[in-house]
Amino acid sequence: MNTDFDAIVVGSGITGGWAAKELTEKGLKVLMVERGRHIEHGTDYVTEMKAPWEMPFRGEGDPQLFEKDFAVQSKNRHFTEYTQNHFVNDRENPYSVADGTQFNWWRSYQLGGRSLTWGRQSYRMSDHDFGANKKDGHGVDWPIRYADLKPWYDHVEKFIGVSGQNEGLSSLPDGIYQPPMALNVLEKHAKGVIEAQWPDRRLTIGRTANLTQDKEGRSACQNRMLCPRGCSYGAYFSTQSSTLPAAQATGNLTLITDTVVETVDYDAKAKRARGVSVLNVKTGERRRYTARIIFMNAGAFNSNHVLLRSRSEAFPNGLGNSSGRLGTHIMDHASTVGAIALFDTFQDRTTYGNRPTGVIIPRFRNLGDQPEADFVRGYSFQGGALRSTWTRGKREAGIGEAFKDNLRHVGPWRMVLVSFAESLPRETNRLRLDPVKVDPFGAPLLQIDFTHGENERKALTDAGKEASAMLTAAGGKVILSLNQPGIGGSAIHEMGGAMMGYDPRTSVTNRWNQLHDVPNVFVTDGAAMASSACQNPSLTYMAMTARACDTAVTMLKQGRI
Amino acid sequence: MPNIDSPPTASRRHLLRAGLALAGAALTPAQVWAQVAQATPPRIFPRTQQMLDRVCDLTIPDTQTPGAVKAGVPAFVVMALDHGLSGTGRPPSHDQFPGGRPPPEANWLVWLEFELDRRVGGVFSSAKPAAQAKALADLDAAAYAKGGEKSPWRTLKGLIVTGYYTSEIGGSQELFFELVPGRFDPDVPVGPNDRAWSNDWTAVDFG
Repeated sequence: MNTDFDAIVVGSGITGGWAAKELTEKGLKVLMVERGRHIEHGTDYVTEMKAPWEMPFRGEGDPQLFEKDFAVQSKNRHFTEYTQNHFVNDRENPYSVADGTQFNWWRSYQLGGRSLTWGRQSYRMSDHDFGANKKDGHGVDWPIRYADLKPWYDHVEKFIGVSGQNEGLSSLPDGIYQPPMALNVLEKHAKGVIEAQWPDRRLTIGRTANLTQDKEGRSACQNRMLCPRGCSYGAYFSTQSSTLPAAQATGNLTLITDTVVETVDYDAKAKRARGVSVLNVKTGERRRYTARIIFMNAGAFNSNHVLLRSRSEAFPNGLGNSSGRLGTHIMDHASTVGAIALFDTFQDRTTYGNRPTGVIIPRFRNLGDQPEADFVRGYSFQGGALRSTWTRGKREAGIGEAFKDNLRHVGPWRMVLVSFAESLPRETNRLRLDPVKVDPFGAPLLQIDFTHGENERKALTDAGKEASAMLTAAGGKVILSLNQPGIGGSAIHEMGGAMMGYDPRTSVTNRWNQLHDVPNVFVTDGAAMASSACQNPSLTYMAMTARACDTAVTMLKQGRI
Repeated sequence: MPNIDSPPTASRRHLLRAGLALAGAALTPAQVWAQVAQATPPRIFPRTQQMLDRVCDLTIPDTQTPGAVKAGVPAFVVMALDHGLSGTGRPPSHDQFPGGRPPPEANWLVWLEFELDRRVGGVFSSAKPAAQAKALADLDAAAYAKGGEKSPWRTLKGLIVTGYYTSEIGGSQELFFELVPGRFDPDVPVGPNDRAWSNDWTAVDFG
C-alpha cells in the first residue's frame, strides 16, 4: 500500500469528513485515518428499524454491561440500548481526571465519529462571540471575526442542509436554510407571550442539520427521531451521509479504520511535520505515513492528546507547544434545566410525528456596550413543549383499569427550557498527559483537569430565573428549575486546548488554524476554539475546516508550506 | 437469570406455610423474618411468581386490549431485576421493611411479597381477589402519598409500566406505534377516543 500522500486527515468525524471532502475535491491525494471500526452507511445501522419489543432490554439496555463497559458513556442521555454501539467502550479506552475533579468525556470511536450521534443543532457564532475575549480579557483575542467565516458558513450550510428560520438577530447570525420545522401549538403560544413581554428575546425553531427537503441523494427527514441509531435515509448530516461519499467520488481518498494515530512526526531540519505514526488496534502493527500537510480532526481533546504525545527534541512538551499553552483553556458549556413547567391549556390539541429538533431562545444578555448582569457574556436556551405519554405512569398513583385508561390518552402539556451558559477560557482548565497511567498500548492517558467557574454559576442562576419567568408568563406552572451546572463535559461541547490567537507566545494556532510552530499542521476541530460562545459549536468547526482547507491548498500551490 | 422453576425444599415449604399461617394472627413481621431468613435463597419460587403475575395483572389488567400478564410483563420484571434495571442492582433499603430485619439476601420481590402478605394478613397469592386488589391499591396509595417517595413499589411499578408499554401489545395495541411517521403535524385535535403514541420519543424522554 502507498504510504505517501498529499494530505493526512486524522479522524473521520464532523471535521475529518469535511477536511477529506474539501482536500480531495481540490485534487489532493488524501489519507483519512480513523481509530474506530468501519460503519457502512445504512447497512451497519443495525438497530435503526427496531421496535422496543425487538430489543433484549426494550431499549433500556443492560445495566450490568453498562457498568462494566460504558461506565461514563451510559450517563449520557443519548446513550441507550439502541445507540450503545455508537459510543466508545470506556473500559478499553480509559482517560483520567485530575484529583478532585470530574469530567464526562462522551465519545464515539468509529467511522463518522460523533457525526453519527451529534445533536445536529447548527448555529453561527457572531461578532459578540469572536470579540468577547478582547472585550472582557478572558483568554486571548480571536484572530478572526465573523466576516472571515461567513462565506464558509454559507458554503457548509449549503452542502450539509440545515433547516431553520432567519431572525435577524445580532447574537445569532442568519444562514442559508431549508424551510424550518414547525413550532407546535404551545410553543407558538409561548413565543407570542415571551416576545410581547420581552421584545429583546426571540423564541425560534432550532436550526438543525435535518433536511426538510430532499437533497442530492438524501431524503427529507421522516420524523422518526431515531437519528443517533444512524439514518439510512441520510436525512441528517453525518460523514457517512454527506462528506464521505463526496470525498470518495473524487477517487482521491484512501480510508483506513481501526488505526490510531500515535504521533505526528516532526522533521526538525525542514521544520515541518513529515507524517504520522499509526497503530492498527486490531493487529498491533505499527507503520508510518508521510504527507505534505496534516489535518488534525480527531475531536477536540484527542487532537490535543495526539499533539501532546508527539514529543521530540524540538518540542519536548508536545508538537506545536513552544508557548506551553497546548492543552490549556479547555471549555465545555455549563448547562442545566432552566425550568420545566406544566400547562393546563390546549388540552384538546396535540402533535403528530417526531420533530428532531426543539426550540431555542438565543442569547439576549450582555449584548450592549454596558454590562447588564453580574456575569460576563451570556447564555441561551434550548427546549420545547410536548404532551407527556406512558412514562408518566411511573410517577403517578393508581392501578387497574382506571390507571390503564388514563395512560391510554395523551397526558398534560409540559414545556422545558435547558440553559447553556458560555464557558470562559481559563488557563487552569487544561489537558495534560497523565504522569503515571497508560492505555492498553502503553501510551500515556489523557488527563482532564476541568471545573466550571463562578461566572458560569451566576449565568445559570440568572438563566433559571428568566426561564421560570418566561414559562410562567406563558401560563405554565414551574415544577423544576435548576441553576448548578452538570459535571464538565455534560454538554458534549468540549473544546479548546489548541486555541487560535495572534501571538505564538500565548496561543497554539494562528488565524488559518495552522500550528504557529509547524505551519503544515492544521488543527480545525474544536481544539482551535479560543472561546465557547453559548451556542452549539459544530457548524463553526466545519466552517473553520473548509476555510483552512482552502488556505492550505493555496499555500501548497504557492510553495509556502 | 434466577431459576424460577426450582421448587422450594420441603423444609422451606413447611417453614413458609407455618410461618405465614401464623403471620396474620400472632407473629410480628420481625418474627416472620427471623424464620424466613433461615431458608430464603435468591430465587423466584412458584409462590413468588404467582404473586408477581397477580400484581402485574392488578396493575395493568386485560380490558379491550390484553393486559400486563399477556404482554409478558412478569418475565420482563424478573429479567429487569436480575440485571438491575432502574436502579434495582441493590436491594431495597432495610428501612423499607416495616417492623422487621430482612434477611441479607432480601431482594425486590421478597420485599413486595412481604409487604403484600403483611397487608392481606396471610399469603397474598391465596387471598381473595378483592383482598389482593385492596392490598395492592393501599400499597400504591401509600407509595404515592407524601412520605412514600422512597417506596420500592414506585420502582417496581415503573418496571411494570415500562415492561407493558414497550411490549408489542402495550406499545402497539393499547397505544399507537408508528416507526416512520413521515411528517410532523404541529397542531392536531385530540378526540376522546384517541390513543396516545408510544414512540413519541420526546414525550418518552421528557414527559
